[in-house]
Amino acid sequence: MTRMIDIYSILPVMIVAGWALLLLVVDLWIPRHRKGITALLAAIGLAIALGFVLASSGNTILGFNQMVVLDGFSSFMQVLFLVSGMVAVALAYDYIQRMNINHGEFYVLMMFSIAGMMLMSQAYNLLMVFLALELLSIPLYVLTGFARTRLESEEASLKYFLLGAFASGFVLYGTALIFSATGQLDFVGIAAVVTAGSANSVLFLIGAALLLVGFGFKIAAVPFQMWTPDVYQGAPTPVTAFMSVAVKAAGFAALMRVFLVLFPSLSEHLTPILWVMAALTMIVGNIVALAQNNIKRMLAYSAIAHAGYILMAFVAFGNGEVVGNTVAATLFYLVAYGLTSFGAWALVIVIEREYGKGILLDDLAGIGKHYPWLGVAMLVFMLSFAGVPLTMGFWGKFYLFRTAVQAGYIGLAIIGLLTSVASAYYYLRVVVYMFMKPGEPKLQINPWVSLVIGVAALAVLLLSLIPWTILELASRAVLLLQ
Amino acid sequence: MLFLMAIAAGVLFAAGIFMILRRSMVKVLVGILLLGYAANLLLFNAAPLIRGAPPLIDPVIGVPTVYADPVPQALILTAIVISFGVTAFAVVLIRRAYAVTGTGDLDNMHCTDIPCESEEILSDLEDEIL
Amino acid sequence: MTALSITILTGFLIAILAPFLTRLMKHRAAFVLALYPLAVVIQLLALQPDTLTAPSIQFPWVPSMGLWMTFTLDGLGFLIAMLIAGIGTLVILYGGEYLRDDPYLERFFLWVIIFMASMLGVVTSGNALVLFVFWELTSISSFFLIGYKFEYESARAAAWQALLVTGAGGLAMLAGFVLLGQITGSFEINQWMQNSNLVQESALAPAAFILILLGAMTKSAQFPFHFWLPNAMEAPTPVSAYLHSATMVKAGVYLLARLFPVLGGLALWNQVVPWVGLLTLVGGALLALGQTDLKKLLAYTTVSSLGGMVFLLGLGTPLAVKSAMLFLLTHALYKGTLFLVAGGVDHSAGSRDIRKLGKLAKLMPFTALAAGLAALSMAGIPPLIGFISKEYVYESTYYYSNLPFILTGLAVLANVANVAVAGWVGIRPFWQQPEQKDEDLHPHKESLWLWIPPLVLAITGLFMGVFSQGTAQTWVAAATSAVLQEMSKVKLSLWHGITPMLLLSVLTLMIGVVVYLASRTLIPRLAAFWNKLSSVGPNIFYSRSMRAFLSVAGWQTKILQSGYLRYYIITILVTTVTLAVVTLATRYDSLPNPQWTQPRFYDVIFIVIIIVSAILVTRAESRLATITLLGAIGFSIAILFLLYSAPDLAMVQFAVETLTVVLFVLVIYQLPKYTKSNYPIHANVLHIIVSAAGGIMMVVLMLLTSAVPSNSTLAPYFMESSLPLAKGHNVVNVILVDFRGLDTLGEITVLMIAAIGVFALLGLKKGSKRGGNG
Repeated sequence: MTRMIDIYSILPVMIVAGWALLLLVVDLWIPRHRKGITALLAAIGLAIALGFVLASSGNTILGFNQMVVLDGFSSFMQVLFLVSGMVAVALAYDYIQRMNINHGEFYVLMMFSIAGMMLMSQAYNLLMVFLALELLSIPLYVLTGFARTRLESEEASLKYFLLGAFASGFVLYGTALIFSATGQLDFVGIAAVVTAGSANSVLFLIGAALLLVGFGFKIAAVPFQMWTPDVYQGAPTPVTAFMSVAVKAAGFAALMRVFLVLFPSLSEHLTPILWVMAALTMIVGNIVALAQNNIKRMLAYSAIAHAGYILMAFVAFGNGEVVGNTVAATLFYLVAYGLTSFGAWALVIVIEREYGKGILLDDLAGIGKHYPWLGVAMLVFMLSFAGVPLTMGFWGKFYLFRTAVQAGYIGLAIIGLLTSVASAYYYLRVVVYMFMKPGEPKLQINPWVSLVIGVAALAVLLLSLIPWTILELASRAVLLLQ
Repeated sequence: MLFLMAIAAGVLFAAGIFMILRRSMVKVLVGILLLGYAANLLLFNAAPLIRGAPPLIDPVIGVPTVYADPVPQALILTAIVISFGVTAFAVVLIRRAYAVTGTGDLDNMHCTDIPCESEEILSDLEDEIL
Repeated sequence: MTALSITILTGFLIAILAPFLTRLMKHRAAFVLALYPLAVVIQLLALQPDTLTAPSIQFPWVPSMGLWMTFTLDGLGFLIAMLIAGIGTLVILYGGEYLRDDPYLERFFLWVIIFMASMLGVVTSGNALVLFVFWELTSISSFFLIGYKFEYESARAAAWQALLVTGAGGLAMLAGFVLLGQITGSFEINQWMQNSNLVQESALAPAAFILILLGAMTKSAQFPFHFWLPNAMEAPTPVSAYLHSATMVKAGVYLLARLFPVLGGLALWNQVVPWVGLLTLVGGALLALGQTDLKKLLAYTTVSSLGGMVFLLGLGTPLAVKSAMLFLLTHALYKGTLFLVAGGVDHSAGSRDIRKLGKLAKLMPFTALAAGLAALSMAGIPPLIGFISKEYVYESTYYYSNLPFILTGLAVLANVANVAVAGWVGIRPFWQQPEQKDEDLHPHKESLWLWIPPLVLAITGLFMGVFSQGTAQTWVAAATSAVLQEMSKVKLSLWHGITPMLLLSVLTLMIGVVVYLASRTLIPRLAAFWNKLSSVGPNIFYSRSMRAFLSVAGWQTKILQSGYLRYYIITILVTTVTLAVVTLATRYDSLPNPQWTQPRFYDVIFIVIIIVSAILVTRAESRLATITLLGAIGFSIAILFLLYSAPDLAMVQFAVETLTVVLFVLVIYQLPKYTKSNYPIHANVLHIIVSAAGGIMMVVLMLLTSAVPSNSTLAPYFMESSLPLAKGHNVVNVILVDFRGLDTLGEITVLMIAAIGVFALLGLKKGSKRGGNG
């Protein structure tokens, strides 16, 4: 019953998972001090998968009895995940040596997590969504606790796991309710039942709300955000960087796919909930970030706030006229935010000398003077986070705000605007400490990490001059809607 | 029967939540297991409960006229297996955490949170802008 | 126009190169860098627009969103661009000398040139978004320039303040632009002008107008946002002269003038803008009279003058617009000069306190000359251009249809203050004896590049006054035409007979001189008065609200991020239950009714076992007991599965349950002992309530799900096709391995990953306990 086209539709996912398995075995023969080879092999595997994703993009296929879908949206997301993975490998290579947690499984687990995310972007069946969620989460629980001997890491891992298991439980509950409301599990079937009007609307709605809880946890939307700072702070920094970009993107991939395909008919009921969630996320994330002097925690809150901006555009998911813009704006923002975020976290990696010794603002003092390029790069990232013009962050925010205004959520846009002002303060504070406070920092800069910083900074600046390139790609990556 | 089943699931869920709110790591894990049981019951209930009619195809008669819905069963199978994997992983994780932190008390685990310092941070930050 | 826009944009490149050049050439880099604004001046003069048709050029930017990078140069843009580039040239030369030995000179050049390019961008953008982009860049460069002397806490605080106020205003402006974009379907400013009727009819227009006005008010330091400007005097003097007097603070005025054809027709315009301007005009003037610091004096009069310009634009009559444009030009000339003079004085004498300065003319003759000319212009004395400008202002108010006498009176009042301040800044330090002797001050001679720039500016002012029919007239006419969108004639002359305006000028001058002479008694009293008042002023409001904001942030952190897992779980759960309850409550009428069936004996037994065990688990304080109870629950559920037609499930549940028990028993002694929770009573009560709420939600959901009639089309499909398609009799198995094979593959992968996770967690040496250096 399995056709070649089915295999073709999830080939990149299988490549990543299969490669990870092979790597697990191969790694046994790679001596401890040569783990760089494992990193390289992992990166090659991701690159090969990337090649296949690019080659198969542009097709639209429903595979495996409509359990998975390959479309522009999934291809766009998969490119994002794979590139994030490669960046994370580059960031981790030196870091895990320095922190003395140099084990090959690190890369293997990361690849499995990426496979889970890729599957998430393709899932077209609620059971697949649940599986993909577990697939991407479990490796992350391990990665978070990868600095096994460190209290912070262990603690973060445990918290993340306990809350994560709790939250994925809600996805399962939601799936059960939607199944009993419609008698279907795959999106095609559910959508058909909903269109026919024979779904039980109460159960369907509660099911949707429960799914929202589960996904809200993954994207760290308020009030499901609390794990974020603890986990971001405790996890090894490359893992944090990976989480802040890829996991968030995967969460949004699931949210968009499920909500846009299954729940447009519920938008009347879900929109107020999303509105409140978006507003709270922007407000809480930005305001709490003001009170942080630990960079990792500050970035964690900023990650929450950015999820809020995306949610702001997402509120309009049921509005057929702007939904295309919502998707495009979200994808664009994920790219802009991803570039910026990786850059900022890479700088944190450079500055972090000892595991778990949180980096405080004071540790940044003098970097602008002694390492001007790092300082300038950080300036670029912070401006981009704050959404200042001539950075990708500005365009990202602009598209999101525009979508919100188009859909008529002007109140929400104003909340977003005001919180952006607050955010400028804590982002620029970083710059002030770097450039305006005296200090004698001593940094060891790994070439791979500086490559990430340099490329990210240039991309944030240069792509902002030609934002249409990414926007065009994002607009083409519209989902296959039922 | 439905009603009893619902009560059972409700009690399991409530007990699960109560356990998750304890301080002991192991108890929290037990709570998650209880929630898993509740989830299985919920899934099982998603199709009508039918006694003594498993979804089997009789070699002679063919498809029976009355049968239990096989789809939720398949779903629960997946859920059970995954929750077992997760449990095994959790046990090891807790064991590890205990070995590293020397405590099974979650209340001793908030060193990543620094709200206690926030007064001091605030006064620093105020100096900066005013 | 192409060449000009390219030149402007090159500025960003030059700015980036400036630090390197500065390292090579030290302060002499100024002579090279000044070529950039000079080139702009030359190109501007070549393009000088004197008609309504403005040259413009478009580069596509994000065409899919209708976004074009449009540059255009009309009379308004030209006038301000001339000021930016012209004064910019002088300021770079001046700054190179002023900050000659400063270790951070390179940062000065970097940001000043970025500012210059952005500001030129602001006034030449034909697209609102492009304008916004440049606008925010000016705020950012202003931030770094104000914070230039970053060792000082006060400089950093002032930089923050300016950035937060103007940045927030900028965002409000962007919101206004987005609304206008919604109304007109374009971000091109000339599209807005052509569709101004659409704007005026739109219900969104007032909101757009207020938001844009907020942008203009913050940038141009209008009351109540004026407070950042005097504080921004922490910047080095060339920066104050350039950004905070001659150019950047005019951006708000520019914005209002630019959008006058779009928004000027709104009733709100006339109701709001003049009053904002008037309040600022008078307030700034009065505040200025209480100052003793040269730069503060100039800063407050700048606030006042900006208020004047906004006021005139608010009146909106052709005459008022003309005066606004003329005033804009005049003010930049004399105020820029006076700031540069103040810098020179500070540099030579080491103080900016007017009470301590005096008799400097001997040491600094050329500075004194420049200062004198600028002061005369500021005081409105012929033949300087300031005189003509003031006459025009009086004429606008005098002939205004509404409250002409009150408006004129207030204008006179503000100008009186200007006269006095002009004297205090431009005359007194050079010619009079100092009021207080300060033995620590040892003034030295003026340096060449500290007096040439102000003198050039001052002479320009003189020149434009004497030959007012020349360039000044053409420029102002072109700018006015651009604002009014119709060809306007402007006639500037020093003498037009004995008119009420002339008499008013004389009156102003006379009172002004009196005030000037009364400085010794007046300043301390006003200063004391303002001090008292400042405890309720917007400055205090700003710092209070910042402080409150931070403590809210801290408080919020404490509440939301306690670090205790259970609070996180309670939050998630309460949210979920609330969502479910709200849903159920709003859809109350469409709830299905559960179907009741009679339970059988065995069912009851196992259900009771489950319930009792679940309750006992919560009480168990021994790990072994917990495991036993869990086992009982699991096996009972398995039996229920068996009873209700799910033999496969029962098998798996048995197997998994057994494995789980084995697993627990194996590791039980490596797991931590139970910690007594020891919660206070209220916490326990809360937990029980939350758990009960969750449980009840679950019961309701269960009843609901079973009440829904099964409408599964999947089941018949699988039943029918499992034998023919997959040759299997057990449908559940067929689903797992065939129809849904991919799920099972995923499931196996999840298990495998869990196994790898276990392996990764176990496979390592134990590290040191509790936060060692592992």
